[in-house]
Formats: sequence, structure tokens, C-alpha cells
Amino acid sequence: MSTTAVLRSEWIKVRSVRASAGSLVAVFTTTVAITILATAAVGQAEADNEGADLLFGAFYALNFGQIAAIAFGTTAVSSEYLNGALRVSLAAVPNRNLLYAAKITVVGALAIVVGLLTSFVTFLSGQAFMGSYALGLGDPGALRACVGGGLYLALISLFAAGLTVVLRSAVAVLSLLIPFILIVSFVVGDMAASVADFLPDHAGQQVLHQDPVGTLGPWTGLAVTAGWAAAALLAGWWALRRRDA
Amino acid sequence: MTSIDVQELTKEYGTTRVVDRLTFSVGPGRVTGFLGPNGAGKSTTMRLVLGLDRPTSGTATLGGRPYATLGEPLREVGALLDAQAAHGSRTARDHLRVLAASNRIPVRRVDEVLELAGIAAVAGRRIKTFSLGMRQRLGIAAALLGDPQVVMLDEPSNGLDPEGIIWIRELMRSLAREGRTVLVSSHLMNETATFADHLVVLGRGRLLADTPMRDFIDAHSERRVRVRTTDPASLRAALRRKGLEAVATGDGRWTVAGARAEEIGALAATDGIAVLELADESGSLEEAYLALTADDTEFASAATPLQEA
Repeated sequence: MSTTAVLRSEWIKVRSVRASAGSLVAVFTTTVAITILATAAVGQAEADNEGADLLFGAFYALNFGQIAAIAFGTTAVSSEYLNGALRVSLAAVPNRNLLYAAKITVVGALAIVVGLLTSFVTFLSGQAFMGSYALGLGDPGALRACVGGGLYLALISLFAAGLTVVLRSAVAVLSLLIPFILIVSFVVGDMAASVADFLPDHAGQQVLHQDPVGTLGPWTGLAVTAGWAAAALLAGWWALRRRDA
Repeated sequence: MTSIDVQELTKEYGTTRVVDRLTFSVGPGRVTGFLGPNGAGKSTTMRLVLGLDRPTSGTATLGGRPYATLGEPLREVGALLDAQAAHGSRTARDHLRVLAASNRIPVRRVDEVLELAGIAAVAGRRIKTFSLGMRQRLGIAAALLGDPQVVMLDEPSNGLDPEGIIWIRELMRSLAREGRTVLVSSHLMNETATFADHLVVLGRGRLLADTPMRDFIDAHSERRVRVRTTDPASLRAALRRKGLEAVATGDGRWTVAGARAEEIGALAATDGIAVLELADESGSLEEAYLALTADDTEFASAATPLQEA
């Protein structure tokens, strides 16, 4: 079978399901809109605080954007697990490795493009409201944080995508990951700092700090998140190959 | 010419054997009806043929090759398994474009099959707004997308209106006339009788019959003769001598089970009984099917051996 043909088919799939296309747009719009609202309202006041990490503050809205990124990775895959849709897909592309690789490639590529765009626009638009506190791309760590933030969003999408293949349900993945990101990660983060450093969201967000503290550096932190995503994708690959459709 | 060949096919889920050492072959140029009670393993067999489920043992091939090894499978095999499988938030055209793209089928073919299935007017609508009948037509459009030599349809007339049922019947017959291999599962006997040339019947995962439909009906339904006479009393007496019993049907006719028209005609002639009407009655597919599967129905109701047809 032609790989390009299968990639095209997967691209039409993502584009033609409203939930997936919508959450991808929401990654960008949510993050940028919250950034502009927050920096315009309290950006400079917060920047005055003792020990404020201006760079990390610039990416505050990524906390919300990542929820949309999870939704994108989940819905792009979960559409295959509604009413036996996977059977139709596998009848068209019986090579499961090819189908999976093409789907993950399309999800990953879209997430990287939208992630990088989101992260750069977020940084630049937010800093426009920061007055004398404003950072530029030339400031230490800024470019690294912009690129890293984009990759972080893509990795979180892929992590969710892999998990969805294993659990075969959007509801299961969303009700697992969203409370995890919103609650568990905060609570555990306070209790056991060293363990929390290795959670997928904490680790990856190291790249957004001006001077990362803790066990992991900016890139090693992102590599840990990449490890989580890779583990989820491998588990998904194994599940798809092994199971009856 | 492509045939579907199933060899010693077995599928177990845990300890339940759903398909049990099944061997049969579906040939081109005719419509093969795939019959069996609910839970007999029809859908499972179709999934095994399509490589969606892995057999516990045995093989299923199309023209000698396993489905998974076909280069662009939709160009060789078209299947409708479940009309609900199309994602509700896509439009009908997008659903078909996804499938066409993966097998490098030109986009104009998408519009052709939409037209063929009679849903061109709603091609731009989201599938969740479709009735079951429209989804069924979309599923059939998808099965025909690649102009395949082999067509497998699981309960295609589900949810179709009377006009749709006639359409699908004519469609299947014309596909077979074009020399294609057509396998159609159904639990509607009277419906199947109108389109099938050949039957494969399953019960509890085993093969119960693999014969031409005519032979199947003859083998599994009782012969009987319908007769009308001016002198029922004499006819009944004559029949009784031969060990036959005439039963009144209520409209002035009598039915004699287990006999042939030539026997009754000769008997009446010998006795000088005037016969106004005399004809062999063939059994229906439904009768034949129920006679065969009476013991192999997994979910039969306790009170009556008859099941929903």
C-alpha cells in the first residue's frame, strides 16, 4: 500500500471530525486569548513579586492550552473506537503498523505545527503588554522556552493519543488525564517534589523556566515527557497489533 | 474470478467456540445467502475473512490470498459490516473520501457510488442526521467504492424501506450477473429467498448446509399437494387406503402432505373422482430453514420453536 495515500486518508479523517479540528484550533485560541487577558490585566503587577519567573509567567496560559492538546490527541484517535469504526479503517488499510504510523504521524505533525505557532504567538503577544518587564526572543532562555513549549504541547497530544488506543475510549482518557493535570499533579507536586518532577506535565514544563530548579534541566525534562509519550505510543501500537478489531 | 475460501476456520473467545472448524467456499457469478440463527457465527466469520479478528486456527482467503496481503483491498473486496460504523460528525462524502484516499481510488468514484446508492442529495450532510436506511445505503456505497470483485454484506436490508429492499435485491443480483462473488448474510428468510442462488447455513458456528437454494428447500421441507374436488369424501377414502391424509385448508381446498401431484392424479383417475385443481406445493425457505436449525438455535424462546424471522 502507498504510505502517502494512507497519510492523506488520515489527514482527511482528522480534518473532517469537528471535535478534533475544533480542539486543535482551541489549543491556539485558548492559550493566546488567556495570555492576552492575563498579561493585560495583571501581568505587570505580578511581575513585581519577589522571585517572579517572568519567562514561566509568559507561558502561564499553556496550562489551559494543554487541556485542548489532550482533547485533540484523544478525539483524533477515539473516533476509531466509536461503533466499530476501526473495522472500516482496517478493512481499507489492513496493515496495522502502517495505519497506526500514519495516524500518529498526522496527529504529531499537526500538534507540532500548532504547538509551535501557539507557543511563539503566546510569548510575543503576551510580552506586548508587559511594559518595562517585557522579554524578547533574544533574552536568555526565551527562544528555548518557545520551541520547548511547542514541543511540549505536541508531546502531550501524542501521550493522550497513545493512551486512547490502549483504553479505546475518549471518555476514559479525558476523565483520567484532565483531573490528573488539574488536581493530582498539583497535590503530588507539593507533597513529593522529587517524584513529581518526573510526571509528564511537570517534567516537560521545565523547559519554560528561566532557571529550572530540581532534578531535571530544561531539555532533560522535555525528554522525560517524550519518554512518557513514547511509552504510551508503544503501548498503543502493541494493543492495536494484538487485539481483534 | 475470485472466490472466498474458508478452511477449517475456528474462533474461540475464552472458552466459547463461536466458529467451529468451518469449511466452505463462495463462488463468483451468484448470490450466496449466509444464514443462521443469531449467534451462529455469521458476523464473526465475515470479520475473520476480512482479517479483523485473528482465527484460533484455520484460514480464510480471497482468491487464495489472506485479506491482509491484498495491496489495495477496497479495489478487490467490498464489505458492509455495520452501518453504524461511520463517524456521525463526518459528512457522507468525507466518509467515502477517507476510504477512497487510502486505496488511491479517484474522487469521482465517490460521487458515482453516492449516486448509485441514491444518497447523492445528502452527501454533504453529517452522518448523525441520517436514518438507519440512509446509513445502510452509505455502507453499501462504501462497499462498492473500489468496484470490487468480491462483495460481502452483513444484513444489508436492515432499516431499508420497501423501495430500498427492492433496490438492494436488484443490486445484488446484477453484481452477481457481472460475475462478482456476492456473500450476503441475513436472518430474513423470505427476503433471502428473493435474491439468493446458493446458501451457506451456520448453526452454533458449524456448517449446516452449503447447497443451491432450490436443493436446500427440497431437502428440508415437506412435499405436499394442493387439491380441489367435487367429492371430498371419496377422495379422502381413496387417500386413506394409501396411508395419506387430506387436510382442509378452509377455502374448499385440501392439502395432502408427503405426496406428489402425479400420485394423487392417478389415484383420483382410478377411482373416477373429479378433480378441479391439482398442484405440487413447494415449501418455503423459511420452513426449510426452521426445520434445519431447530436444534441449533442458541437463543430460542422456550414456548415456541419459532423465532423472529
